[in-house]
Amino acid sequence: MSFLKTTLADKVLLLICIFLSYYSFAYVKEALPKGTEVRIEVDGRLKYAFPLNKDRTVELSGVIGRTTVEIKGGKVRIKEAPCPNKVCIHQGWIESGAIICLPNKVIVTISRPDNSKGPDAISG
Amino acid sequence: MQSADRYRIAILASYALALHGFEALIPAPIPWLRLGLSNIITVITLFFYGPRQALTVTMIRIVLGSLLMGTFLGPAFFLSLSGGLAGTLSMCIVMTLFPGLFGPLGISLIGAFFHNIAQLFTAYALFVRKIEAILVVLPFLAAAGTVTGAFNGIAANYLIQEIIKTGNRR
Repeated sequence: MSFLKTTLADKVLLLICIFLSYYSFAYVKEALPKGTEVRIEVDGRLKYAFPLNKDRTVELSGVIGRTTVEIKGGKVRIKEAPCPNKVCIHQGWIESGAIICLPNKVIVTISRPDNSKGPDAISG
Repeated sequence: MQSADRYRIAILASYALALHGFEALIPAPIPWLRLGLSNIITVITLFFYGPRQALTVTMIRIVLGSLLMGTFLGPAFFLSLSGGLAGTLSMCIVMTLFPGLFGPLGISLIGAFFHNIAQLFTAYALFVRKIEAILVVLPFLAAAGTVTGAFNGIAANYLIQEIIKTGNRR
């Protein structure tokens, strides 16, 4: 009954499975549509929306002071902030997700452009 | 079908059902993440008694299991059915086409893989209809399938060796 034992093919298959699962994480991350728009909210209101692919630096005034947001090379960071603990600055550059500065009530998110805000239809 | 076969199938199916029920008691970190312990029984059945018996045991386990859990003909039932059928069928096909190539570990991995593929496809076709949502879940399912498939395969391998050693094969 030696054929019931673990064979070489088993071990190869296990390695392939581990490799495939590892690879699928990277593949799916690439395949998913990336966020292209940087949105900056202050005190719950949407203040700015910029394309992610254009470098720029924005200064905005939050609840307790001025926050500087920098967009560069498809990444965003908060460069300067008046908050005491600087959590938002320490988060560094992000490509997806959000940076939230609680004391100054500034939220920077990267999202896909919202089509519903544009015209529903254009009639000639 | 011989009556000895019927006894065998009934006993194996009740083992599978017991594992199925036991597994439902284990709290899962994510709702759809399951160990698939009853697959151990499917693999053992397949190795000792062949594809037809394994398919029968799986079908009994899925239908009776969902009746006992109260999910019969609900969404979870169709996910379970498609996954169980695809997993068992893929294992049977590989066993028939390449006899002796894979041991229980490899067979279990193949079963887990096709189980997850079929469940994702069913979820997409019947419920979700959003390819992004499926894509996000895919790597986690692939990784979970590798871990649980290997675990079940090793468990089945161990049990098969024990059964051979003690000569309890009926």
